[in-house]
Amino acid sequence: MTPIRTPFLYMLFAAVWPGLYCGKAMGNEAESFAADDLTFFETKIRPVLAEHCYSCHSASSKSLKAGLRVDSRNALLTGGDSGPAIVPGSPDDSMLLAAIRYEEYEMPPKGKLADSVIADFERWLDREAAWPTEEEPASSVSPASEFDLEKRKASHWAWQPLNVSDPPSVPNDGGELSNIDRFIYSELSTAGLTPAPPIGRASLARRLSFDLIGLPPSPEDVAEFVNDSSEDATERYVDRLLQSPHFGERWGRHWLDLVRYAESRGHEFDPDTPHAFQYRDYVIRALNADVPYDLFVKEHIAGDLLSNPRLNSDEGFNESILGTGFWFLGEWVHSPVDILKDEADRFDNMVDCMSKTFLGLTVSCARCHDHKFDAISTEDYYSLTGFLQSSHFCEVPFESLEHNRRVANSLQSLDSEYAAALEAELNRLTELDSKRADQPWEFDFTAIPSMPEGANANVVFDYTGKTNGEVSPFYADGFAYGSSTTRPGQWMIANRNGKMSADIAMYGSARNDPFWNAIETIEDRNVNGRRTNIPPGAGRGLRTPTFELKEGTISLQLRGAGDVFACVDSHRLVVGPLHGETHKKLPGNADGSIYWVHLNLNRYIGHQVHMELMPSNDGCLELLRVIDANSAITQQDAKSVEALKKAEQWLSELQERVGEEASRPLRILQSEWIARRQSLLNQVQVKSRLTMAMMDGTGEEARVFIRGNVAAPGKVVPRHFLTAISSAPLGSASTSGRLELAEKITDSSNPLYSRVIVNRVWHHLFGRGIVPTVDDFGVLGQRPTHPQLLDNLANWFLDDGQSIKRLIRQIVLTNAYQMSNETSPLATEVDPNNLLYQHREPKRLEGEIVRDTLLAVSGELNREMYGESVPVFLTNFMDGRGRPGASGPADGDRRRSIYIEVRRNFVSPFMLAFDTPVPFSTMGRRTVSNVPAQALILMNDPFVIERAKTWATQLIEAVPEDFNARMEQLYQTAYSRSPTANEIKVIDEYVQKNGANDVQTWTDITHSIINSKEFTYIP
Amino acid sequence: MTVQHHCGRFQPLAHSRREMLQRCFSGMGMLALGAFSDRSSLASELPTTKEWNGAHGVHFPPKCKSVIFLYMDGGPSQVDTFDPKPFLDKYDGQDPGQFFEVAPTQFNNNGTVLASPWKFERHGESGLPISSLLPHLATCADELCFVRSMTSEFSEHTFANYFLHTGSGLQGRPSMGAWINYGLGSVCENLPGFVAINGGLIPPGGLDCFGNGFLPASFQGSVFKPKGTAVANITPTDASEHQQRKMKLTGILDQLLLDRIGPSDAIESAIANYELAAQMQIAVPELMRLEDEPEYIRRLYGMDSDYEPTRIYAAECLTARRLVERGVRFIELTCPSVGGDRWDQHGNLKEGHENNARAVDQPVSALLKDLRQRGMLDDTLVVWAGEFGRTPFAQGKNGRDHNPFGFTIWMAGGGTKKGTAYGATDEWGYKAIENRAEIHDLHATMLHLLGVDHTKSTYRFGGRDMRLTDVKGHVIHDIIEHS
Repeated sequence: MTPIRTPFLYMLFAAVWPGLYCGKAMGNEAESFAADDLTFFETKIRPVLAEHCYSCHSASSKSLKAGLRVDSRNALLTGGDSGPAIVPGSPDDSMLLAAIRYEEYEMPPKGKLADSVIADFERWLDREAAWPTEEEPASSVSPASEFDLEKRKASHWAWQPLNVSDPPSVPNDGGELSNIDRFIYSELSTAGLTPAPPIGRASLARRLSFDLIGLPPSPEDVAEFVNDSSEDATERYVDRLLQSPHFGERWGRHWLDLVRYAESRGHEFDPDTPHAFQYRDYVIRALNADVPYDLFVKEHIAGDLLSNPRLNSDEGFNESILGTGFWFLGEWVHSPVDILKDEADRFDNMVDCMSKTFLGLTVSCARCHDHKFDAISTEDYYSLTGFLQSSHFCEVPFESLEHNRRVANSLQSLDSEYAAALEAELNRLTELDSKRADQPWEFDFTAIPSMPEGANANVVFDYTGKTNGEVSPFYADGFAYGSSTTRPGQWMIANRNGKMSADIAMYGSARNDPFWNAIETIEDRNVNGRRTNIPPGAGRGLRTPTFELKEGTISLQLRGAGDVFACVDSHRLVVGPLHGETHKKLPGNADGSIYWVHLNLNRYIGHQVHMELMPSNDGCLELLRVIDANSAITQQDAKSVEALKKAEQWLSELQERVGEEASRPLRILQSEWIARRQSLLNQVQVKSRLTMAMMDGTGEEARVFIRGNVAAPGKVVPRHFLTAISSAPLGSASTSGRLELAEKITDSSNPLYSRVIVNRVWHHLFGRGIVPTVDDFGVLGQRPTHPQLLDNLANWFLDDGQSIKRLIRQIVLTNAYQMSNETSPLATEVDPNNLLYQHREPKRLEGEIVRDTLLAVSGELNREMYGESVPVFLTNFMDGRGRPGASGPADGDRRRSIYIEVRRNFVSPFMLAFDTPVPFSTMGRRTVSNVPAQALILMNDPFVIERAKTWATQLIEAVPEDFNARMEQLYQTAYSRSPTANEIKVIDEYVQKNGANDVQTWTDITHSIINSKEFTYIP
Repeated sequence: MTVQHHCGRFQPLAHSRREMLQRCFSGMGMLALGAFSDRSSLASELPTTKEWNGAHGVHFPPKCKSVIFLYMDGGPSQVDTFDPKPFLDKYDGQDPGQFFEVAPTQFNNNGTVLASPWKFERHGESGLPISSLLPHLATCADELCFVRSMTSEFSEHTFANYFLHTGSGLQGRPSMGAWINYGLGSVCENLPGFVAINGGLIPPGGLDCFGNGFLPASFQGSVFKPKGTAVANITPTDASEHQQRKMKLTGILDQLLLDRIGPSDAIESAIANYELAAQMQIAVPELMRLEDEPEYIRRLYGMDSDYEPTRIYAAECLTARRLVERGVRFIELTCPSVGGDRWDQHGNLKEGHENNARAVDQPVSALLKDLRQRGMLDDTLVVWAGEFGRTPFAQGKNGRDHNPFGFTIWMAGGGTKKGTAYGATDEWGYKAIENRAEIHDLHATMLHLLGVDHTKSTYRFGGRDMRLTDVKGHVIHDIIEHS
């Protein structure tokens, strides 16, 4: 059965509403009320309700709050979103009274009622809440919500299946036009407009280069393209750009805008988000490799669960799992006082980002109420958070994962082979043994010491069972803990005083195989030192299933050293002052015995918890039991400690008793096993970098939080995709169901999926999407300007194997894309906003591309790809908590901007001025503002001045003498064209006045060019 | 621009001339400057200022034009400043749990009831109580309007800061200064419409407390420093004549471009943008010349104080007044560092609060007096607020933990009632019980005083018509002077 999240408060409510369960009549019992009780009601109660409550809680309320009316007894008995408001005869069980006492809800909000009034309510409730017989007030607001999912779905275009139609015919087409052009041209033709003529070759080279790789074309590239008279010159130029490694950098940055990419957590101290850059590199590689979009999306949602993960073509590592890092790129908070609300907020951001990015839907709008406009219910929202509740954060050694998985498989067969052989040999020896003692592992060495009198204790997990796999599911992070428990009597390799020994387990436990102690993780740079105290499992850890904490004190029966962490409501940014009690370092017992340790988690009773274990670097950390009790177990039973010590000598004593000769075959098997494991150990990929990734945890169904309030849990909703598309339940008790969710999202029958991505690509190429609100295809978003084009493009994309590169190619080879900026008076009048794409608008370069371009033209661009980010340059104006101790280099090591660190609380002001979004949610369409900060940066920022100077110096070196040749070189580099006669004249005059070969003069000129609008506005 | 029409269908105006102009004249960004108004050649075509400035304008006659937000970083203690509670003296040292339920706190290291180390006296004709912690401010009691029943939804600095600044506890929403400029535009020619003067302590949550969120970058708060180079990249790298020569060359190149390609909204707007930047290079140093102020004014603010944090905050307050004079809409001042912690005394309440009070007390009272004597206070709303208050019981022995359940903020000028106290906390100063107010109410009231209906000032983002007040907020009419 699927465990259900049952927050503590809900339990309380259930407990305090006996009336609900005993079938008490809830009708109006007016006849039975005494006259003086009714008088009391009319004089003391009704006037107060009318004055203080009716404006929000009556039939006459303009908008009814919390679904609660207090203008009739029935309404109070029925209650609102949070359940019945009164229990007649039982004041203390009545939520109404708790609210006016300010124990919860704090009503009325304007101020607490006088104590005497509250006392009146107590008396009234105590005396059965007398109320005269009267008609139910007629509500002006319909109590039933207007929300009708099916109706909304039917009436909004975006939910409808792709409507594929033949491209329209266009007058005078001549059969030359592409399908895309036919859609565009036919609309233009209907409006009586003529498309703008094509842009010149050189400008096209420039437009394509910026759009596809985000860098200006080199003068040589432009020349080659302009002089190429073959028919497929443009195709080949486009293909070259699509094959450039810079393609992934350009389009990767677009993608990072969708997933609120940052390398720190923000909030108070802006702690690092370790390994975030691995996700960035993954995106760049995936785009360059043109991974089919459905696979790319599946990798994001459930890359950890793919049965055949995609392997890196050069290094063979698991690429797919890196995609799941996107879930965890959001803001994280330390020490939240309300830890469940923190989880709810994190999940909200994850659902928000996921649904906008892949579906163009604002599902998060349904967190507190059914979506105001779209066919998305609150239950849909919480059904999606269920997938997250059922999943788990981990840091995975992705580089070694697949390689070591093969080693782990070999190890498993080796171990089974030797276990069988050793068992047979052991049987032979015991036959010979004069003592014929019972097998000691039949005894219980791990008995639980007795609890104090009256203690409440639940054994939550018991790993000591006599068969493997009794605790299920078993969530090992990596291979160290294997796929199940070790049972008593099982052959295993123990580390006895630093020496590997083939031995028999005397008790059952979850234990890590010391074989895997060899693996090491490569740490990335720690920028401001405020990371979580919780060590990553890093492929050597164990997590228990999730459980609800009932008693508050967790006792763990353990052996060995390491760390234990109680992860409450998936909160893991533990750096104090709160929640430190969830983590304990385990030094282990000096004599290596079994011991108990406890965590005082009283603060978290009623919350969802799982335990994580991480063995020390060279150690073995065994988990035997987890107990949730109202007091702690701290001591292992002394007798059993002694008995175990003795039992662990049993095998060697047996061997001694039967004699060296007789025990030789066993010893040979033992040493062979160890030796063969040793040779397998040599195959282990020891070092690996880590990445943030998602893995499955206990399958859980979420509860609706009424009005988004975590203290008001409502109905349980099974995990499923959006009802408007598919309401089939997904997942199981032991799996999250994310893979099935990913299948649903990417299914070609989901019309949003393909429309959203082709529209995003169109947006980046044309500067405006066919649906301009690229992240919102809902009712509040804008409608497509060319719906048929959108659907045909989406359909073509699906049919063509979901290749982003071929989609781009398809679009940029159209006349529509290659139009010039020329408009006509008629077009300006008929279509002032150019919705019909009569011409192209110039596009201002984004901040990242402005910076990259400056480095490119000055010849300084460092084209190194990937790796840890260059620390952000900190100006004097970038201040605040969490400021990194050291600033990054002012020139960012001259790397492309995508490799400059993004710290949430210290985003580069250069970028912010040019509209780089603060990474908080999906931002598929950046604003394009025009603010003086941009001018001041280009005029005065030392970074810009430096580039101008280097550019000038190089220009003089490259063309030392000839002014005209130098001008040609300058203009080709800056604008991909030759200077005009006027421009030559103007600059010649400037040079004449200020010095022909003077670096300062030419720096003035390059700096002027950088500030010229043609430099940052691409035709 | 994705603005306007909070009801009914919305039609895109992408890349229109109108949009370009709107985007152009409204701001400067985090490192520099903000909203501008009327600009010569381009403005002449435009119907009204409010429309082309990206602003929807006022909904009813405003009471004030500008806001100075004195952000009291860390959460000053209400029971040690403006909300005297005799119970704390009476039950000093006793377990608060026997009197009321103690809710979880940030450090959960809760001690006994803690009496205020400061004495309260009534001041002015209004008789408002102010503790001996703020002797200068006490002389302005009759200007002040206390809200003693303010509440927040968060116990943690960062949540509470984002909430106070943006109406949401999480990162990424526009700050109130951005909203106000979005709503009203600026009447200032050559300075940003939203200035944050950083005295040294950026609020936890960082510069995003002054961010534009999903609004265009034009509405970002510009961070100024109270001395030295006030604004990033404002000082020309070259001598002014040299820079002019270069910029003239740029201008010619741009003109040649326009000659070739014909009229272009985008290019022309970008050109105009450079003219503004150039003007700003002159306006900012002029603004910052505090030495131009008469000596008695400088002394009034405390520019001659022997305590450096006071001198820093004095410069901030004086600069704020000069910004208001120049028509800047929204100015936030952050606190100077006093060596120890901000108003966040988890321990050593006495010393810590005294240092923080000393830094701001004289400059703030001088600001009120100076604005009053110039006849500017009625047009300028001054708001003094922390992100939450502090517990009436101790944290450890001599500190106080965060308390979002009831605390005091005050306003002055800008159409608020003078010498008034609104709302009340319980007898411990722990929770608001009378006229409970929310941060959303504060925002609604501030917008109201500026002539803006907070329910109508919306911006469409992520499928919603977003507001500074989210879906909440009630104007606190009881604290507004009805003239």
